[in-house]
Amino acid sequence: MFKKYIPLLAFLLWGQCFMPLQPVSAAGETLNVVTTTTIFADLVKQIGGERVEVKAVASPKQNIHFYSPKPSDVRAVASADLYVNVGLDLEAWSDPLLEAAGKPELMRGRNRNLDLSKGIALLHVPTGNISRSEGDIHLFGNPHYTMNPENFKIMAKSVAEKLAEIDPSGAASYQENEKQFLSQLDAKLQEWKSLCQHCQDKEIISYHEDIAYFAQFVGLKAEQFIEPKPGIPPGPRHLAELADYAVQHPVGAIVLPTYYSRATAEKLAERIGTRSVTIVQNAGEVAGSEGVVGFFDYNFRQISEALK
Amino acid sequence: MKRILFGLLFCCFFCNTVVQPAPARASDDLAAEVAALKVKLSELEARMEEQKSAPAVQSADRSLLGKWNPSIGVVADIVAKLNSPKEDAEGSDRISAREVEIVFGSDIDAYSRLDVTVSFSDFEDAGLEEAYVTRFGLPFDTIARLGKFKPKVGKAIPVHRDSLETVDEPLVIQRYFGAEGYNKAGLDVTTLLQTGLPVTQEVSIGMLEGGNGEEGALFGDTRRRPTMYSHLKNYVDISDETNAEWGFSYLAGSRDEDADFEVQVLGSDLTLKHQLSANQALKLQGEVFNVNREETEDDLDGNIWGWYGLADLRVAPQWSVGFRYDNVQPVDNPLENLQEEDTGYTGYVTFSQSEFARWRVQASQFDLSDGNKDTQIMLQGTFAIGEHKHKIQ
Repeated sequence: MFKKYIPLLAFLLWGQCFMPLQPVSAAGETLNVVTTTTIFADLVKQIGGERVEVKAVASPKQNIHFYSPKPSDVRAVASADLYVNVGLDLEAWSDPLLEAAGKPELMRGRNRNLDLSKGIALLHVPTGNISRSEGDIHLFGNPHYTMNPENFKIMAKSVAEKLAEIDPSGAASYQENEKQFLSQLDAKLQEWKSLCQHCQDKEIISYHEDIAYFAQFVGLKAEQFIEPKPGIPPGPRHLAELADYAVQHPVGAIVLPTYYSRATAEKLAERIGTRSVTIVQNAGEVAGSEGVVGFFDYNFRQISEALK
Repeated sequence: MKRILFGLLFCCFFCNTVVQPAPARASDDLAAEVAALKVKLSELEARMEEQKSAPAVQSADRSLLGKWNPSIGVVADIVAKLNSPKEDAEGSDRISAREVEIVFGSDIDAYSRLDVTVSFSDFEDAGLEEAYVTRFGLPFDTIARLGKFKPKVGKAIPVHRDSLETVDEPLVIQRYFGAEGYNKAGLDVTTLLQTGLPVTQEVSIGMLEGGNGEEGALFGDTRRRPTMYSHLKNYVDISDETNAEWGFSYLAGSRDEDADFEVQVLGSDLTLKHQLSANQALKLQGEVFNVNREETEDDLDGNIWGWYGLADLRVAPQWSVGFRYDNVQPVDNPLENLQEEDTGYTGYVTFSQSEFARWRVQASQFDLSDGNKDTQIMLQGTFAIGEHKHKIQ
């Protein structure tokens, strides 16, 4: 019954295989850059300008660690000239995505794979024996370095250098764009510092250890976490311990990303007589947090108001 | 006179040595030396501070040390099962280490990668589940696999058990392809089609050794006669929150020594995913297989169908619930009993204790074509240590 369909099926399948398969970038003038996060997409667009087309893989509304790449992401990566990522195993799905796309030059450690953690002064790099009994620890250090705007100086340089390496004819343009980005960033750094001046040395409780770099910039004390260990949801005993801690130590606010349980944070905040505040982890996660500047504007405003 | 001159010269020399500003010069040298040392010290201090504040470089270097070793992971699948039939069947009314997989994987060189999965079980000897080389960077962005692997047929066959939504494979996969899925040695190639359409299309074509997985009945036992397969995946993002995938599969194989591909299978799969919120998601999935076999025995039905439908709802970051319906016409379906089929109703609750530990409770009711019923309650624990990454589905 089916035998008569075999030539037809073979034609349909193989016929499609011989359709034009040139990578999009080869036909166009622009570089195709795929980034794992939306904040990197904005950074690359600002440095690359008109010479680059950028697509972010992960939706800003989800925890990037647990994102599940889709076939359309595989397709985007398969057409990419450069893959920009956070590294440090934050994107646990990155290697399978690159393998599915099948372009050797984009794979981890290769020259078209730009890991922006390189050159960043990392926090919480584990030393000594490490084990998963300590929770969801990151082997290479705390990967949430995009939460400190100072780190964007290093990242902007890395992006400009990599784009110039791939597209030498655009080197001057990338350098100029980097200069502009840095000058805008410098002005904003002053603004954000003064906005959060009153927050210095204040103590907060954070849901997860993703606050570390942010606290570093603002000068916050963030040593207590709703999660008893990274990635481990809190139990009643741990929440009681936090409440006891707050009796001895004034806690200015409880800070959490938008995708964690606000109910737990609010309950604890009510118990210890403080307030809870959400900050974003990705550009465009909520309205008003688009782009690098919008992302930090939003977060510093939130913290500044919460700790007033 | 000579003595006086000698004495004067001696005095002059002595006076010179005494009078010359030797101590002043020594203190200047000392001061310069101290200043130089201070500069050196401050340089060293600065360097130490730099090293303290730049552990990234250290960690990157350290991470290179083990890079020549393959990544290794172990996945343990522990199942406690209660079921109604009283036969002492595999896993019935007992707790068992149903499967322990040891997974090795690493790049071979700039163009290829080797993945090996060895499995151990309470029920059988250690076996090679997968061992294949993936070759990247071929013309037309084609990816080729050579070795023993899970073919890209439909949705349930290509994934490992720990990636399934349910404790067991859908009934149609168990009955037609094998109780533990379908892994066969062979060669396949996959490529993404650049059609310019807003649909992502991926085509896979492969040739596998003959035969079925354990307890599968679709093809014959002979492994000499190859099975050909192809799969076309079509995927579209309907919105930021919703996407759909539908695929078509085709397999042709033999049930005896003659390689005339008398067993042919058409399959289709449909998956719809909707992200309800950051931590809530709905997945609807279904697969249907139509088997056409040129039966040598007149009393058997040569045209049979099997399908399943699954709904999975993640209600919270750690919790999901779901339901699966199975409907399968047995492979050796007697013509006089055409209306009979195996049906199953399965419900489950999954709790993810962490990224690497998961618990699942599942209850199933199967009404079998031979008139028997099978009620099953299973508790499954899936635990992973070492490197553990899932292939993109």
